[in-house]
Amino acid sequence: MSTYVLMRILESAPRRYELGIQLLTLGRLDKAYDRLASHIKREQQVLDIGCGTGALTLRAAQRGAKVKGIDSNAQMLEIAGQRVKTAGFNEPVELVEMGVAELDAEEPQRYDVVMSGLCLSELSEDEVHYTLKQVTRILRPGGLLLLADETRPECLANRFLYCLIRIPLAALTYLITQQTTHGISNLVKKLKTAGFAIVSTRFNRLGSFGEFVAQKPVDATS
Amino acid sequence: MKNLNFFLVSIVQTLLRVLPFPCRTGLAKLGSPGRDAPVLLTGNFRLTVERVRRALEGIDAYLLIANSRGVNVWCAAAGGHLTNHDVVSVLKTSGIENLVDHRQVILPQLAATGIEGTIIQLKTGWKVVWGPVYATSIPQFLRGGLEKMPQMRTVRFEWPQRLEMAIAWAFPISLLTVLLLPFWKEGMLPLIGFVWAAAIIIFLSFPLFQARLRTAEKNIGFVFFDFGKRGVPLFLWAFFMLGLIGYSLLAGEFLWGIVLRWGLSSLIVLLILGLDLMGSTPTYKSGLHEDRLLRIELDAKQCKGAAFCEQVCPTNVFAVDHDRRLAFLPRERQCVQCGACIVQCPFDALHFRSPTGEVVAPDTIRRFKLNLLGKRTVGAHSAQIE
Repeated sequence: MSTYVLMRILESAPRRYELGIQLLTLGRLDKAYDRLASHIKREQQVLDIGCGTGALTLRAAQRGAKVKGIDSNAQMLEIAGQRVKTAGFNEPVELVEMGVAELDAEEPQRYDVVMSGLCLSELSEDEVHYTLKQVTRILRPGGLLLLADETRPECLANRFLYCLIRIPLAALTYLITQQTTHGISNLVKKLKTAGFAIVSTRFNRLGSFGEFVAQKPVDATS
Repeated sequence: MKNLNFFLVSIVQTLLRVLPFPCRTGLAKLGSPGRDAPVLLTGNFRLTVERVRRALEGIDAYLLIANSRGVNVWCAAAGGHLTNHDVVSVLKTSGIENLVDHRQVILPQLAATGIEGTIIQLKTGWKVVWGPVYATSIPQFLRGGLEKMPQMRTVRFEWPQRLEMAIAWAFPISLLTVLLLPFWKEGMLPLIGFVWAAAIIIFLSFPLFQARLRTAEKNIGFVFFDFGKRGVPLFLWAFFMLGLIGYSLLAGEFLWGIVLRWGLSSLIVLLILGLDLMGSTPTYKSGLHEDRLLRIELDAKQCKGAAFCEQVCPTNVFAVDHDRRLAFLPRERQCVQCGACIVQCPFDALHFRSPTGEVVAPDTIRRFKLNLLGKRTVGAHSAQIE
C-alpha cells in the first residue's frame, strides 16, 4: 500500500520542509544565508519576508538585530516559533502570520534591512512586483534588501541542463514538502525597475541559484 | 483552437486527476468587462479554470485566479492550500481594484471551508459573495441577481462525475501495472483491462451500494480501508474468483498458477481501488479522515438565523426559520463534515462533537486544516482532536 506510506510522509510536510529544500538547493543554502546575514549589524530593524521555519530570522537575531519574521503559513511559523524559543531569542524576534499583500500595513521607512530567502520564487509575477514596490516604501534610504533564491538561468544551454537536473529533484522535494517553486527570472532587472541599486550578486555555476544584495538609494524620495 | 485546448486539458487532467496541475495566477478578462462587471474568483487548478472560462463564455466579467497550488478549490480550501492569504493576495496584487468601481467578489461556494469572508472584507474591503458549487450554474446565478437556488449549492455525484472518478483511479493504477512487465508479460494487458472494468463497475454502480456505506463507524482496518462494513469491492473480488475457478475447471484442468496470480493481482487492484472509495465521492467524507467521526451540532442560544450555514452547506443539511431567526439541521445525516458552516458562522453557533464527547471549537476548524490523512495537525499536538 505504497499510497498509504506516501501519505504518512506527506502528513508532516512542514516539519520536513527544510530537508526537502536542502535537497533542492543541494545543501548550499546555509552558506548563502550566512553570507547574506553578514550584512546585518547590531540594533538594526530587520524584516524577514517569508521567514518559513526561521533560518534567516535566527541568523539576523544572532547578529543582534531586531527582527520581524512574516509568513503566510501558520504551520511554518509555529516551527519557527519553537526554534526561536529554543535559541532564546524571544525578545528581539517577532513572528507574524501575514502575506506579502499585507505589507502595505507597515510604516514607511521603518526597516534598515529587508531580507527574503526562497520566498520570491513562490510568488506570482504580480506578487513579486507588489512586494518590491512595498519594500522600497518600508526601507529607509540607504537600507539593504538581501535575497537568496532560485533563479532561472539566463543562458539557454544552462537552462536546458537546469531542467534536466531539476525535474527529479523537484519531484522528490514535492513528495517531501508538498511545495513547488519555479526559478525567478530577470530578478536583477526587476530590482532595478523597482528603484534599487545592485550592490552585489552571486550565482552558482549553473545560474540556477542567486544571492542578491540591493540598496535603496540614499537620495530616494519615497 | 479554444475547443482543442479545452479538449486536451480535459483529457490529460481527467486521466491524471489525482495530481495537482497549476496554471498562471492573477487576473483574466472574460469578454470585454466594464467598470461594473462581476468579479469572480477561483483556484489555479488548470481544469477548473478552463471549465469556468467555458461556462462563462459570452459573459463579460473579471476572473481572479488565486494560488491554490494547482489543487481543485474544495480540496485546496479544506487542506490549507487555498487560504485567506491567497485570496487577499490576488485581490490586492492583481490590480483589479483599479478596474472596477464596486468591491464585491464572488467566490466558489466550496471554498467556504477554508476562506473566511469576514477576514477578506476586513483586510481588503472586498465583500465576499458565495457563488454556486458548479461553474455551469454561474450564468444563471448572475442573471438571477446573485440568488442561489438550493440545487446550485448542492454537490452531486451523477454518472459523468462517477465515470471521471473511475478514470482518475484506473489510469494511475494501470500505469503501476507496467511494473509487472518483466515478470508477467502476457498477463499485463488483461490486468489493465481488469483495472478499468473494475473501476468503472465500482463507480457506476455506486448508487446500488451507497446506502450500505457507513461513515460513522470506526471499523476501518488495514485491509478493509473504507469499504464500510460490507466490503463491497471484496464481494466483487469473490465473484470474480468464482468465475475464474469455474472457467479454470471448465477448461479441463485446474490451473493453479493462473488462479493464484489472478487472485492476488485482482485483490491488490480492488484494494487500491477501494482505498478511499468514499473520499472519491463528494457526498461522503473520506474514510481515511478522522473528521468523518465528528457530528455537527448547533447551539440554538447562539444562533441568530443569519443563514450563512444554509448558503455554504454543500449537502443541504440546513433549513432556516427566518421568522424565529433560527437554523435547523433537518438533514444532518447528509453532513460530510467539511466544516464550511462552522467556519462561516458569525456567531460561532456551530461546532463539531467528537465520538468521545469533546467539542471541536470553531477556531480549531478555522485555523487547522486537514492534511492528506484527514487529521487537523498543526505542528503542536494540541491541535489534534483526540
